[in-house]
Amino acid sequence: MKVKVRQVSLYEDEEALISAVELTDDIKSAIDILENNCRVVPVISDSKTIMLKTDAIYYIESVDKRTYVYTKENCYETRYRLYELEDILSFYFLRVSKAMIINIRKIRAVKAELNGRMRADLLNGEQITISRAYVKELKGKLGI
Amino acid sequence: MNRCKLIFNQTLMISTAILFGLGIEELIEYLSSGDEWMNWQWYIPLSVIFTGFLCALASLVLVDEDSSLKKINMKMRIFIHFIALFAVVSGCGFIFNWYSKIRQLIPIAIIYVITYGFVWASTIWIFKEDEKKINEAIKDIQDKE
Repeated sequence: MKVKVRQVSLYEDEEALISAVELTDDIKSAIDILENNCRVVPVISDSKTIMLKTDAIYYIESVDKRTYVYTKENCYETRYRLYELEDILSFYFLRVSKAMIINIRKIRAVKAELNGRMRADLLNGEQITISRAYVKELKGKLGI
Repeated sequence: MNRCKLIFNQTLMISTAILFGLGIEELIEYLSSGDEWMNWQWYIPLSVIFTGFLCALASLVLVDEDSSLKKINMKMRIFIHFIALFAVVSGCGFIFNWYSKIRQLIPIAIIYVITYGFVWASTIWIFKEDEKKINEAIKDIQDKE
C-alpha cells in the first residue's frame, strides 16, 4: 500500500484517509492506532476475532507453537507469532524469555534470584521469570 | 555463543581469583619465612587458566539458569558447586604442584572459602542493586490498576 504524508501546521487539520479494497486486520489496527492513539492486537475470543488494546495486555506466551495473550483476567489466542508481535507492540513490551513477552507497565516489582534471573510480580498477582539475558535489555529500556 | 562468552568470562574471573589466592599464599610464605623469591614452574600460569576453565565448566553445569540440574533446589546446587569447585581447585593444585603436602592445602582451602564467599557476596550485591534500580524505574511508568 502506498503511504503519502502531507505536513500541516495545525493539529485540527490532521486527518488520515485510507483507500482500501477491504478492511483487513492490519488496516483495522492502523485505524485504531490513529483514532485511539493505542495499538491493538487481533485475538480470538469465542471463535470471533476481536481487537485487544495493547495497554490491557499483561504478557504474551508461546506454548506448543500457539500464542496466548493474557490480560488482567482473561486469556486469548492470537494467530501472530511472538516475533511478529514484537514488531506490533509498543516500546513498553519486552521479550523476557524465548517464549514470553511482558508488558513492563504491568510489573509491580522485580526480585533478583541467585542465578541472575529476576522474578517479576505483576499487578494481577501473577509471577513471571525474566531470563538473565533479558535483564540487561530491561535495564536498557528503563534507562538504567 | 552466549555460553562461550559465559565460559570465557568465568574462566577469566576464576583464574584471577586463583592467582589472587596463590599470591596471598606467597605473601604468607614471605611473612612467615622471609623468603623473597618464589619458584614457579613454567606451566603454573597455564595451569591457573586451565583450572579456571574447569571451574567455569562446573559453574555452567551446576548453577547456570539453563543448567540441566535446574530442578534441584538452588541452595543445594550452590553447595554442590562449592564442593565441586573445591575438588577441582585442590585436584589441579595437587597435579600442578601448587602444594606438595596436605598441610599446605589448608591455606589454599581458607583462601578458597574466603574467595568463594566474596564472589557470591559481590554477585548478590550487584543483583540487589539492579533489583533496586529496576523497581525505582518501574514505579515511574507503572499502570494504575
